[in-house]
Amino acid sequence: MASVTTEPIDTITEVPGKRTPLVTGTHDYGTVTEAVCRLAECKAPKAWYIALGFSASLVGMLFGLVGYLIITGVGVWGNRSPVFWGWPIVNFVFWVGIGHAGTLISAILFLFRQDWRTGINRAAEAMTIFAVVCAGLFPGIHIGRVWLAYWLFPIPNQMSMWPNFRSPLLWDVFAVSTYATVSLLFWYMGMIPDLATLRDRATGKIQQFAYGLFSLGWNGSSRHWHRYERAYLLLAALAAPLVLSVHTIVSFDFAVSQLPGWHTTIFPPYFVAGAVFSGFAMVLTLMIPARSICGIKDLLTDRHLENMTKVIIATGSMVGYAYAMEFFIAWYGGNGYETFAFINRAFGPYAWAYWIMVTCNVISPQLFWFKKIRTTPWMIFVVCIFVNIGMWFERFVITVTSLSRDFLPSSWGYFKPTIVDVLMLIGSFGLFMTLFLLFCKFMPMVAMAEVKSVMETPHGHGDYQPDPPESH
Amino acid sequence: MATTIEQPEKIKAEPQLLGLLAEFDDPHALIEASKKVRDAGYSKWDTHTPFPLHGIDEAMGIKWTILPWIVACCGLMGGTIAVGMQYWMNAVDYPFIISGKPLFSIPASIPITFELSVLLSAFGAFLGMLGLNQLPKLYNPMFKSQAFRRVTNDRFFISMDATDPKFSEIDTGEFLKSLNPLHVEDFWSDVESPKLPRSLVLGLSLVGVLLIMPPALVAYKRSTTTNTPRIHIVPDMDFQPKLKTQNTTSIFADGREVRPHIEGTIPRGQYKDDNIPFYYGLKVLPEDQDVITIAVQDEQKPADEKAADAKPADPAAAAAEVDKLAKLPWVTEFPMPVTDKMMARGKERYRIYCSVCHGLGGEGDGLVSLRAMELQQGTWVRPASYHTENVRKLPVGRLFHTISNGVRKMPGYAAQIPPEDRWAIVLYLRALQKSHQIDAKDLRKEEVEKLRTTK
Repeated sequence: MASVTTEPIDTITEVPGKRTPLVTGTHDYGTVTEAVCRLAECKAPKAWYIALGFSASLVGMLFGLVGYLIITGVGVWGNRSPVFWGWPIVNFVFWVGIGHAGTLISAILFLFRQDWRTGINRAAEAMTIFAVVCAGLFPGIHIGRVWLAYWLFPIPNQMSMWPNFRSPLLWDVFAVSTYATVSLLFWYMGMIPDLATLRDRATGKIQQFAYGLFSLGWNGSSRHWHRYERAYLLLAALAAPLVLSVHTIVSFDFAVSQLPGWHTTIFPPYFVAGAVFSGFAMVLTLMIPARSICGIKDLLTDRHLENMTKVIIATGSMVGYAYAMEFFIAWYGGNGYETFAFINRAFGPYAWAYWIMVTCNVISPQLFWFKKIRTTPWMIFVVCIFVNIGMWFERFVITVTSLSRDFLPSSWGYFKPTIVDVLMLIGSFGLFMTLFLLFCKFMPMVAMAEVKSVMETPHGHGDYQPDPPESH
Repeated sequence: MATTIEQPEKIKAEPQLLGLLAEFDDPHALIEASKKVRDAGYSKWDTHTPFPLHGIDEAMGIKWTILPWIVACCGLMGGTIAVGMQYWMNAVDYPFIISGKPLFSIPASIPITFELSVLLSAFGAFLGMLGLNQLPKLYNPMFKSQAFRRVTNDRFFISMDATDPKFSEIDTGEFLKSLNPLHVEDFWSDVESPKLPRSLVLGLSLVGVLLIMPPALVAYKRSTTTNTPRIHIVPDMDFQPKLKTQNTTSIFADGREVRPHIEGTIPRGQYKDDNIPFYYGLKVLPEDQDVITIAVQDEQKPADEKAADAKPADPAAAAAEVDKLAKLPWVTEFPMPVTDKMMARGKERYRIYCSVCHGLGGEGDGLVSLRAMELQQGTWVRPASYHTENVRKLPVGRLFHTISNGVRKMPGYAAQIPPEDRWAIVLYLRALQKSHQIDAKDLRKEEVEKLRTTK
C-alpha cells in the first residue's frame, strides 16, 4: 500500500486550501489495523495491569458496600430529613451526564459529517455505556428493597398493579434504559466490522471463537456495507434526539417538582449543555492517557483534542450563562422563595460547594481560549479534571441546597454524607475505569473501518495531498 | 468458528465449487472492475471491502435498501404501543386518581411515547440490517481462503457465486483475470457438514439444563401446595419482633405476652360503653347492634339504589324497621340532671340546627322547608311536626337517637352536635311539645295576658 506521508504532519496549524489530515504519521490501511489491534493482540503494558488492579479493587469495595447497603438498608447513606435526595441522586445525574459526550460525538457529529469524530467515537461510545452502567447502579439500589426493582417496569406482578406513567421518575426508567440499549446497539453495531478484523487476525482458539461469535460472520460485502451504513445513519439520527431527551427527562425529576431552585423551565437545556460539557471533559480525561499508553497518537491527534476543547468552551459558556440566568430569573420573577434559594446557594451554608462549582465550570474552561493551553495535552487534562469536579458539584448544589432549605425555616437541615456515600462515589469511578480498561485491552479502541474511510490515500476519499517532492 | 481450516481428511462427498474470488489492493481498481462485472451481466456476485467504499453502490448497481421503511414501521409501532400501554394501564385497568388530574393526557405521555418509539426504531435498524444481510452467519466457506482474511484489513475482493446462470468455471475465471487482480482463487463447499464438536454440544446442553433448573424449581414450588412452611428468601416484614397473644415472654414478670387491662384505663372503642344511656339513648345495648345503625345505613345508600329496591318493598320494610326500633329499651328519663341552663342551651341549639326545617314552633314549617316545597312542588316531604300523637309518645331516648342518626330524609347530626347538646335539644323539644298541649285554665293570669298581647 502506498504510504500517505513521509513525515509527521502538524495537525494543529491550519493550511488554507488544504484539509488537515485526520491521521498523522506514515500510515496506510494495514498499519492502522496494526496500530489498533496491537493492544488486543500483544501483552498489555505494565501500566495497564497496575491501573486494572487498582480500579478492580475499587470495584470490589463498591460491591462490598452495595451488599452492606442491601443487607442493612439505605440508612447507611446520609439521606435524611429534609434532604432525602442526597448523594446517590447526585451521582446518578452526574454519571448519566458523562455518557452524553459519547453519543454526541458518535451521532450528532456523524450527522454533521464531522470526520474528525472517527478517531474518538469508539472509545467515547464505550465511555457512554460504562457511564450509564455506573448511573444505573444508584437508582437501582436507592429504591431500598432492591429485589423489588422490577416494580418499576410495566410487567404484571402479583399485586396486579401498574406503575404511574405520569411520574418523571418512571420516565427516567424508560429514558435511561432506552438510552443504554440504543447506545449499546450503536456501539456494538459500529464494532462489528472491527471485531471481524480482530477475528481474521486472531491466532488463539479462544480469541477466534469469541471474536468470531461477536462479529456475526461479517465478510465486508458491499451489499452488506450499503445496508450497514443506512442502519448506522438511522441509528445516529435516532440517537441524536434521544441523547437530548435523556437529560431533559432527568431534569424533569427536578423541574416538575415545586421546590424553589428546582421548578424552572431552564433545566432541560441547561442540564443537556452541562451533560455534554462534563462528557467531553471525561472523554479528554480518558483519552489523553489512553492514547499515550496504547500508542495511537497518530489516530487520535492533538487536533482531535483541540476540537474537543472548543466544544468544552462552548458548552462551558452555556452552563455559565445558565447560572447567571437562574439568578436573573430568581430576581426578575419576584418570587421570594426563589430569590432566597439562589442567594442561599451562593452565600448560605453550601457556599463552598457553589463557588467550587463556579470556579471549575465557568472560569476554568475559559482557559481554553488560549491556544497554548488548548494544544498542550497535560494542560487540557488538568482543566478537564477541574471540569469533572465542577460538574459533580453542580449536581450536588442543585440537589442539596434546594432541599436543605425550602419553604419552612423550621424544616431546614444540613446534609452530611456518610463514609459509605463517599466510598461508593469512589467505587463507581473504579467500576467505570475497570470497564474502560477491559475495553481498551479486548476491543478495537478506534473505529478502524471508519478511520480508513476518511484517510487521505492517493486514491481515497480525503482531499489532502502531500506537497509534491519537487517543491521541496 | 470461522477459521477452522484444516479439516481432517474424512472425505464423504465430492466438494462443490461455490465460487471465485479475485483480490485487489486498490479501492479504485475494485470500482473499475465492478463496473465491468456489472456490465458483463452477472447477477450473483459481490465485492468485499474493509470499509464502506463510496462509489461502489453505483458501480455494482446496488439498489436502495428498504431499511428506512422497516425502521419507520417499528417506530410507529413503538409509539402506538406506548400510548396504548399508558392509556390501558393507567386509565382503564388500574386507574390512578391523582389530585383530580385526568386519567390520561397527551402531554404526560409524550416522554415514554418518544422513548419507546426510539427504542423500537433502533431495534428495527439493527435487527433489520442483520436480517436483510442474513447475518449472523458464522460459517462461510469463503473464510477458508487465507487471502480473504485481509478483507477486513487492507484488501479488496470480488466474489462470483457459482449459482449465477452466467457462471462457468473457466470463462468466469478468465474474465476475472482480465480485470487485473492480484490473484484469483476458487472456494469450495465443505465435504462434511459443519457440526459442532461433541464435547461442546454436551457442555452446552448441560449448561442449558442447569440454567433451566432453578426457574423450574421456583415455578414448581409456586404452583404446588405443601405442609412445610414456605421458604422466605427475603423476609419482607413477614416476621416482626413483636409480642403476640398466646406466647410467652421474659420481658414481663408474669411471662404473658398478652397484657391485662391497666387499672384506670379504658380499652380503645369502649369509652362510650361506660354510659350507654347518655351516648345511645338506650338503657342497655341490644344484642343486635345493627338496629341502632339502620337509620344511618339507610341514609348512606346511594339515591338510585334506594329508589330501586326500596320503593316496592317500602311499606313492609319500613314497618319492620320501625317495629324493631320501637322494641328497643329506650330511656324515658334524661340521663343527666335537667337544669335551666340546659333548657337555655337546648333552645339556642334548636334554633341553630333544627328550626330551619322544623320551624321555631316545631310544626315542620321552617324556612328551608317552605322554600323547598315552593321549589320542588310536592317532591319534598314536609318534616314531621312534633305535635302529633306519635311523636309525643316517643321516649326521650328515641328522640336522641333520631337527632344522632337521622331518620328518613333527615341526616344524623352526631358529627356536628355533641351528645350534651343533643340531650339539651331533646329537652327543649319536650318543652315545645308541652307548650302545644297545655290547657288555658292552667295558665296564670299574667301569662294569658302576655299571650294575648303577643302577635
